Amino acid sequence: MNDGLFDPFKTWYEKRHDYARDWKARTGGQVVATMCTYTPEELLIAAGMLPVRVLGAHEPQNVTEPHVFGMFCPFCRDSLAQGLLNRFDYAEGVTLTQSCIQYRQSFASWRMHVPTVKWDYYVPMPNEVQSRHARLAHYGEVKKFRDFLGKLTGQPLSEEALAEAVEVVNENRRLLRQLFDYRKQPNPNVTGLEALYASLSAQFVDKREHNALLRKVLAALPSRRLERPEGVRVMTIGSENDDCGFMAMIESVGATIVIDDQCSGTRYFWNEAKPNGDPIKAIADRYIDRPACPTKDYPAHTRFDHVLGLAKDYNARAAIFLQQKFCDPHEGDYPDLKRHLEANGIPTLFLEFDITNPLGPFRIRVEAFLETLSEEELF
Amino acid sequence: MTELSAFNAPSSGEKKEFWRWDETAWVDESRDWRSAKVLTCGIDVGSVSSQCVICADGELYAYNSMRTGSNSPDSATNAFAGVTARTGLTVPDVQFVVGTGYGRVNVPFSHKAITEIACHARGANKMGGNSVRTILDMGGQDCKAIHCDEKGKVTNFLMNDKCAAGTGRGMEVISDLMQIPIAELGQRSFEVDVEPEAVSSVCVVFAKSEALAMLKAGYTKNKVVAAYCQAMAERVVSLLGRIGVEEGFFITGGIAKNPGVVKRIERLLGIKAMETKIDSQIAGAYGAALFAHTLVLKQGAAKPLAAAA
Repeated sequence: MNDGLFDPFKTWYEKRHDYARDWKARTGGQVVATMCTYTPEELLIAAGMLPVRVLGAHEPQNVTEPHVFGMFCPFCRDSLAQGLLNRFDYAEGVTLTQSCIQYRQSFASWRMHVPTVKWDYYVPMPNEVQSRHARLAHYGEVKKFRDFLGKLTGQPLSEEALAEAVEVVNENRRLLRQLFDYRKQPNPNVTGLEALYASLSAQFVDKREHNALLRKVLAALPSRRLERPEGVRVMTIGSENDDCGFMAMIESVGATIVIDDQCSGTRYFWNEAKPNGDPIKAIADRYIDRPACPTKDYPAHTRFDHVLGLAKDYNARAAIFLQQKFCDPHEGDYPDLKRHLEANGIPTLFLEFDITNPLGPFRIRVEAFLETLSEEELF
Repeated sequence: MTELSAFNAPSSGEKKEFWRWDETAWVDESRDWRSAKVLTCGIDVGSVSSQCVICADGELYAYNSMRTGSNSPDSATNAFAGVTARTGLTVPDVQFVVGTGYGRVNVPFSHKAITEIACHARGANKMGGNSVRTILDMGGQDCKAIHCDEKGKVTNFLMNDKCAAGTGRGMEVISDLMQIPIAELGQRSFEVDVEPEAVSSVCVVFAKSEALAMLKAGYTKNKVVAAYCQAMAERVVSLLGRIGVEEGFFITGGIAKNPGVVKRIERLLGIKAMETKIDSQIAGAYGAALFAHTLVLKQGAAKPLAAAA
């Protein structure tokens, strides 16, 4: 039985554009469409803005073909479509922090062709975050972004406002991790879908409101019990994925998603900024140090052990790769990461995602995969 | 009659359905189900065909294979009714029913649903013996490459993505287009002077224009069929190539009955498929019935959920 505990997160997710419009009406602040979770949202929050991550809509569209290639990943195309279809007409600004080259072209097209855009900003964050020059370079870029926002609003971002923004975003990260920690338990009392609603909504809801709801949910969790079979504990791996119907399907066929390595989940909030007297340095370092997206994970592949560590910590028995079709960075990692997991006792299933997905055939694959891990009584 | 006239609609009379494959049923007349200690049933409701298999004490006793109707529950019920008509056996006589196939969750009298991937592997393991390691299930609308262990437990698998080209439904379309009974397609595909190259596309939707172009270019109907069989073989071999083929290669599903595709697959792989005397189309339902048998032995008989017609 659904106790409704996570329903507010779900409502936020499903009505995210209504939320942003309402936020704008009641605060008078600016809304900024942010592309990629490497965006240093602390600066936007310090400037009194609402960062709203661009997500797709998972519906057929025919508006992006003149702008980006059909062999760009579905998330690139679906995200850009949302802008071109004016779904983000409330957002004055749009910003991208460098991650993959395809998404950069989606951003370029957005800023040029979405008529409601009043300003745009591109943060050229180094992709080689392992370089000894990366911290200094990114420090400079975050500082430039701060200056840009100060000039844009006519109000330079103060150290106090930045420190406060760091604290509110850090609290959000902390609370989300506490929430995710409940999934370590046997037969966890938070489902993967519920956790996804929480981590996704954090990416476009005012952090103070989100923190308040997280605190409320965390207070209720110790006594919460879910009357559902745990099934096989699985991990999901991939880039952005908010196909909630798919997640619900997995958890309806004998599995529980206990952890993820996705930017719609843990990669977004996993580590905190470490205040050190210089908020810009704390912010810049936080993004350099966060669990890496494959675009920023070379020459060493730090994420392989990170992903395996998550699987072990959360006692995942298997992993499902949710591969966005044509996503080169993740496809490049896949063969080695698959080998790494399987060599360490975590069997994997690979599914290729598009803007819309065939749930029926996916269901057969997931069920058959789960059957290979269980059903010993059949033999 | 020219080959091109294949496309002319009959001027009068009933149109023959060349695609319609024979629905089959079989009973082991040497045995009486009433003397069996454990009776189990597997129901495979596929996209194109539905099968009911009855196992008596873990051995094949009877089956019925027919075309899937407009809904899964009726197809399951009708498949069982075909066995009832020949044997007098009814659902309450069966101790455990496992549903499989795309309609597996809609079998009204099943106790458990298991994917067709697991069931085909188990069925192939019984039909081909425990040396079966690679199964190619060529079904009505999808194609699966499966690896299993000596018990028939799936260790790895791959399915075709999104498109049903190169599957049973595609072969039905070609049969109708060429006006050649589907059971004859395989043999006819070998009656060519020169083996043609594969058609460039096995897309079912574009099949008519593709075939028409070949006939215009002077192909005989047999040669068109050969080009299609070759294309289907190449398509499934590429799927197999992604998962690898181990010795102990077994083909299940309706297309396993089409030597035009099977022999071309064997030629491309350089491996001969294992042979069986049992209808390859029942492998999924057979596997389901075998799983049901194991479950009865381990857990005891289940209570019937609903009576079939």
